[in-house]
Amino acid sequence: MADRAEQKLIMVTGKGGVGKSLAAAALASKYEQAGLRVLLVELGEESFYKDFFGLKEVSYQPTRLRPHLDVALWSSGECLREYALHLLKSQSLYQIFFENRVMKTFIKVAPGLTELAILGKFTSGIRRIGPPLGYDVVVLDSYASGHTTALLRAPRGMADAVSFGPMGEQSRRIQQVLKNPEVMEYYVVTLPEELPYQESLELIRTIEDETGLVPQVIFNRSLRDVLDEEVDLESIPSSKGLGRFLGFLQKRLDQQRTILQQLQEQRKKIFNVPLITETDPWTLVDQFAERLK
Amino acid sequence: MDELLKSHKVLVCVGSGGVGKTTLAASLGVLAALNGQRVLVLTVDPARRLATTLGITEGTERKIPFEESQGELTASIIDPKKTFDDFVTKAAGQGTGAEKLFKNKLYKQLSTTLSGSQEFTALEKLYSSYQSGKYDLIILDTPPTEHAIDFLNSPQNISALFDERISRWFVSSGRGPIGMFGGLVSMGTKKAFAALENLTGSEFISELRSFFATIQDWRAKLTERTQDVHRLLVHPDTAFVLVTSFDQAKLLEADRFRREITKNGYSLEQIFINRAYPEWLSLDDPLENPSEPPGQLQSYYQELSSYYREKLRLYEAYEQQIAGDVPITKLPYFEEDISDLTGLRKLAKILV
Repeated sequence: MADRAEQKLIMVTGKGGVGKSLAAAALASKYEQAGLRVLLVELGEESFYKDFFGLKEVSYQPTRLRPHLDVALWSSGECLREYALHLLKSQSLYQIFFENRVMKTFIKVAPGLTELAILGKFTSGIRRIGPPLGYDVVVLDSYASGHTTALLRAPRGMADAVSFGPMGEQSRRIQQVLKNPEVMEYYVVTLPEELPYQESLELIRTIEDETGLVPQVIFNRSLRDVLDEEVDLESIPSSKGLGRFLGFLQKRLDQQRTILQQLQEQRKKIFNVPLITETDPWTLVDQFAERLK
Repeated sequence: MDELLKSHKVLVCVGSGGVGKTTLAASLGVLAALNGQRVLVLTVDPARRLATTLGITEGTERKIPFEESQGELTASIIDPKKTFDDFVTKAAGQGTGAEKLFKNKLYKQLSTTLSGSQEFTALEKLYSSYQSGKYDLIILDTPPTEHAIDFLNSPQNISALFDERISRWFVSSGRGPIGMFGGLVSMGTKKAFAALENLTGSEFISELRSFFATIQDWRAKLTERTQDVHRLLVHPDTAFVLVTSFDQAKLLEADRFRREITKNGYSLEQIFINRAYPEWLSLDDPLENPSEPPGQLQSYYQELSSYYREKLRLYEAYEQQIAGDVPITKLPYFEEDISDLTGLRKLAKILV
C-alpha cells in the first residue's frame, strides 16, 4: 500500500556542533514561507530552541513560533507513553505497564524501544496512527550522528528481534515510510572542516544503506572566497590583524575547496551556506533559509 | 591549570557532542605529560585522524614518552564490548556463569546498545585503570551525548536493571506459561509481563528470562562496583571539567549542568569555552583603513572581526553567570584542525 504524499517528513542530522538545529529551523522556515503548515521537532529532555529563540516553554504540545510554524520537544518518555497506549489499546493495561516499577526500568534501557517510539510518532501522520499530526511538513532536528544511526537502525533491529506481534509489524511499517522518496527528505549538515566532513560521509552512507535514499548536504559556515581578487597579498604585514587573518583564510579556504570538490565529485546535492555574521536568532534563521531555496 | 593536573588523580571531561572534548582531553594529557606525570587518556569516540596519530585503534593502547620531562602519555580507546565482557568475567568469578551469558542471544545486543552502556563501560574502564595504580593521572573523555548531563544519569539506568526486584521478576516467571507465577510477584506485574509477551513473542521473553537468570548470581558484584565508581567520582582526587562551545544555548546549558553536578556532590573545577574566537582576532585593531575604499579581503576582515567582537561582548555577562566560582577559560579556534601531537602541544601551551 503506497502512502500518499500528504505530508513531507524531513530529517536533519550531522556531527555534533555543525549547526544542525539552526539548519532544521531554517528548513522549517523555508517551508513555512512557501505557505505550508510546519512542525519543527527537537528530541530529548531539554529544549535547545527554547534558549535559542528565548521562548517561555517548548514541550511535547506544540508551541507557536510563527503563524504557520510550531515547535515541539519530543522526549523519549512521552513518545513511549503515547506509543504504549496505542499498542496496548487499553487504558488500564497501559497504566499497569507504566506504573509498574519493573517495567519502567526495563523500558528505559531496552534498546530500540525509545527509537521506535520516536520514529513511530514522526511517521504517525503518514501511517494514520495515533493522535493527528496535522501539518504539511514535519522537520525533525535529529540526534547527532551516532544516535541518528541508532535511530535509523532501530526498526530493522526490532523487526528482527521481535518477528511476531504488533511491535514487529509496526517496525516494518515504519521502515517502509522511512524508505519512501515521496515522503522523506534527509539532510546531512557538515562544516568545511575535516572531522565533520569525514563523519558526514559515514552518515550519508548510513542513510543510503538504511533507507535507499540519498541525503542532501548542507555545507555550513563556509568562508567567502575573497582571495581571487587582485590583492597585493605580499604587502600585508603578517603580524598584524589583517595579515594573521589572511594566513588563516588561506589555510581554511584551501581545506574548504578540497572538501567541497570531493563532495561535488560524489554528485550530492549541496547547499553552500556561508558563515552568517548575525547574532539575532530569527535573522540567522531567515538568512540561512534564503540559502536553502 | 598545572595545579588542576597535579592535585588530582582523575579528570572527567564532560560536555555535549561536537564541542572538542576529545581534543581537549588529549591536550590536557599532553600538558600533564610535559609536567612529568604518567598520564592515561581514555577516549571513547576519537576522530579517526587523532586516533591514527596517537597510534591507537579500538581496544589498543599506546604509550608516548616525553623525553624532555620524563613524563608518559598513554592513549587508549575504550572497547565497550570488551570492557563489558571483562566485567562479566570478573563478576561471574568461578563457574560457567560468564560463558552462559556470552551465549545468550540478547547479551550481545544488550551489552552494547543498552541505553547507558557506553557510559557504564567508560566508568568501568576508568575504575579498573585507577585500581591498577599505574598512572599519576587518568583523564576520561566521556562518550558524546546530546546534553552534558546525560553522562551522569545514564549509568543509573543500567544499574537499575540489575536491581534484585527486577531479576526476581524475570527469574520467578520460571518454567512454563507466564500465568504460573509464584506468590512473589504482584498481579500488576503478572499482567504487565503478559502484555509484554503479547507484544514481543515468547521467544524473546525466554531469552530475556535466561539473561536475567544467569546474571542473578553476580548482581551483588555489579551493585558493589557501581558504588565503588560513585565513591571515586565524588572523591576530592577527582575533578570534573566541562567543555562547552560559544553560543548562548550551550552556555545556558553549561550553567544548568554546573548546578546539577554540584548538587550531586561532584566537583566541577574548570570550564572551557572552546572555539570562542578565531586565533587571528585582534580586540584593538581599529579595523578601518581610511586611506582607500576596502577591497573584498579588507571588508571581510572587518565583517568577521566585528562579528566575533560582538559575540565576545554579548557573552561577557553570561560568563559571569554560568561560571559561578568555577574558573573559565576561553580557547581560540585555530587555522588548522588539531590532529597530531604538534597541534596538541600547541593547544597545551595555550591552556596554561
